[in-house]
Amino acid sequence: MTDEKAPATDANAIVQELIKYEKLPYEHVELTGEIKVPKIKPDAMIKVHAQQLTSKDTLERLGYPTKGLIPNWKEVFLKTMDKMLKKYKSVRLFMDICVRCGACTDKCHYFIGTGDPRNMPVARAELMRKVYRRYFTWPGKLFGSKMVDGWDLSIDVLALWYTYFYQCSECRRCAVFCPYGIDTAEITMAAREILNSVGLVQKYQHEIIDKAQVIGNNLGMQQNAVVNALEFVRDELREETGIEEIDIPIDIEGADVLFVTPSADFFASPHIESLYGYAKVFHQAGISWTMSTHASEGGNFGMFVHSYDHMKRINKRIWDAARALKVKRVIGGECGHMWRVLSSFSNTLWGPFDYLDSKYPRPQHICEFTLDLLNRGALKIDKTANAEFTATIHDSCQIARGMEMGGQKYGQFEIPRGVIKGVCEKFVDMPENTIKERTFCCGAGQGLLGDDMLPTRVKGAMPRMQAYSYVKKQNGVNFMALICAICKAQLSKMFPTYDIEMEEVGGIHQLVGRAIVLGAKEGI
Amino acid sequence: MGGIHFIINMAIGSLIYLGLTIFLAGFIHKVYNVYYKTPQPLKIPQTPQSTSLGGVILRMAGDVLFFRSLSKGTTLLFYTGWIFHVTFFLLLQRHLRYFITPVPSCVTFLNQAALFIGIVLLIALIILLVRRFIDERTRYITNLSDVFVLFLIMGIVVTGIMMRFEPFRPDIVDVKGFLSELMVPATAFGYMTLHPATAPSSLIFIFHLGLVAFLLMYFPFSKLMHSGGYFFSPTRNMINNPRDVRYVNPWDKG
Ligand code: SF4
Ligand code: SF4
Ligand code: SF4
Repeated sequence: MTDEKAPATDANAIVQELIKYEKLPYEHVELTGEIKVPKIKPDAMIKVHAQQLTSKDTLERLGYPTKGLIPNWKEVFLKTMDKMLKKYKSVRLFMDICVRCGACTDKCHYFIGTGDPRNMPVARAELMRKVYRRYFTWPGKLFGSKMVDGWDLSIDVLALWYTYFYQCSECRRCAVFCPYGIDTAEITMAAREILNSVGLVQKYQHEIIDKAQVIGNNLGMQQNAVVNALEFVRDELREETGIEEIDIPIDIEGADVLFVTPSADFFASPHIESLYGYAKVFHQAGISWTMSTHASEGGNFGMFVHSYDHMKRINKRIWDAARALKVKRVIGGECGHMWRVLSSFSNTLWGPFDYLDSKYPRPQHICEFTLDLLNRGALKIDKTANAEFTATIHDSCQIARGMEMGGQKYGQFEIPRGVIKGVCEKFVDMPENTIKERTFCCGAGQGLLGDDMLPTRVKGAMPRMQAYSYVKKQNGVNFMALICAICKAQLSKMFPTYDIEMEEVGGIHQLVGRAIVLGAKEGI
Repeated sequence: MGGIHFIINMAIGSLIYLGLTIFLAGFIHKVYNVYYKTPQPLKIPQTPQSTSLGGVILRMAGDVLFFRSLSKGTTLLFYTGWIFHVTFFLLLQRHLRYFITPVPSCVTFLNQAALFIGIVLLIALIILLVRRFIDERTRYITNLSDVFVLFLIMGIVVTGIMMRFEPFRPDIVDVKGFLSELMVPATAFGYMTLHPATAPSSLIFIFHLGLVAFLLMYFPFSKLMHSGGYFFSPTRNMINNPRDVRYVNPWDKG
């Protein structure tokens, strides 16, 4: 344990040494199609640390300390923790009511992949609970840490927090099996904000939170760059289809639909294929739509940490744009966490949306939109275009375990499947315990997509990869359809890592885009 | 009355009153001031959450009565945990016969099976305890308090079962008399003037009661608060309709 009276500057030096980022080798696991719960291997992942944000300007804008761990960190730590406990019922309640039954211990993909016991959801939460019991309960205050299985704050505790709260992708799988619905994601979000307040700020996610607020999208593209990118996509699309009228409209006032999607869709592969798909759907449906340079980002990394104001400000751009462009509907593209913020939180943050058309869900998911068109026969589909594929779907965790779609509680499973089946003849689901509400995260969600996290990304993807390899062997599945930008980025990297072709991942609207017969419009 | 009896009478009666007071005050304080009053800024219901209030109530009932969430994961834990809770409540409600006269039939109908239920409860407790040591993942996360509370309840159950047999069987009339005396408010004041109610002379009974009083005191500070806390769990008690019905963040209500 660290000396209590060590000079403050040293505290920072010591903690920096403990959570220093190192480039670690990573190796994948053999694909057998089986998901086995490993024996515990203490400290297996204790060396994996996310890189920290050091840019002073960025930190200043975000309102976090700029010089690493602050001298009076203990005081601030407890103050922020107190604030979290008072402002979030979830956090406060989940601190109290866990009975350590162990039902969640084998449910986390990071535990299954790594065997590190601190990646068991309850053990992760206990990192906070130990501090909670010591400083925020009567027995802890009276009798000290020993009596309550608690921890006194120390540099080591800080290092453990930074390590393991950045090995949780806030996917909420553990909460499905917990008898009380204890959602470790909520605890992780609070822990990250507490770490931020004392000056341990993770780089990947917070850099993006800053960019999204200052510039307007996660990639940091200025408005003209957004326009250039989308025009480029439009030109490609026209060339590919040979149809001059097909368009990706930008900032069109009075359009019916404002469409928002993660900015990764403008460039990255396979994301861009879905953008083609969206454009074709809108074109074929004959609905006037527009994208916005002001709301050029659908994603909202502010959700990953309990910093409500950041999330709120990022979300504001979308609703400002919707008002400014006087649209009737807002539709969101393929992205997991974006959809959760947009559908579950927007109405609280910036609602009510009474200026939008009440005939449609506010906002609407692109899959709801497309399936509706398919069901009404408004799109002409040629399934043979996807004849080469036997598809399966990776239920993105933020969608699967969050919000309903189409107004039914299982809509978020049925609607995307409906779209796939509408455009692709062969569809097979992965094993039941890896899909729907029990879906495994791709292994890189909620701020863990940086290259610094590759060791956990590879291991965390293991359950998903096993499930895929199972249906690949059993049913000849050769395409995994996704509805999340982060899943796409992660899995298109993991597939080759696990010796599977990268082309086997793509968005649902990539399949839609291939199957739509353009031009043969029959009206709605 | 002998000195030792006086001390026992004083101690056990005061313990019971103290236990009840701490339990009620603590439980109500936690549930109302903490679980109920702490704001929940956003809607975070979790699949399979219904889009209507009725559906949410059904789901929660399923969780409470049949441990639906738990049943998705761990078979042994699910069965043992469920049996433990059910037998515990069956035996708890049987105790009403000491407080209500005449005893209603819904309390007596288990008469024959009571001993059996008690033994099942004890076995469930033993399984719950043993698995904390055998299963390596559960062992890793087990705290001292988790084992402690299992032993505490076991102590209560064992003394309870013992009292069904000679020579431990206390005089039922004494027991009823004692308990009904405790229920009279004046008795509580009697303790302040050192005039305690007369406890039955059975040591096992005193022990049983003492452990119960201790459990009551311990309850509000422990994980046992999951009993009241569950109903406030935002992943379970929120309606899944944030697009249709605006949820206002309590922070903004001023
Ligand atoms: S399942 Fe829930 S109650 Fe059980 S150990 Fe995990 S978090 Fe705690
Ligand atoms: S939220 Fe997901 S990543 Fe985090 S502990 Fe639970 S299962 Fe693991
Ligand atoms: S990237 Fe996809 S699977 Fe991974 S955390 Fe996000 S929504 Fe979940």
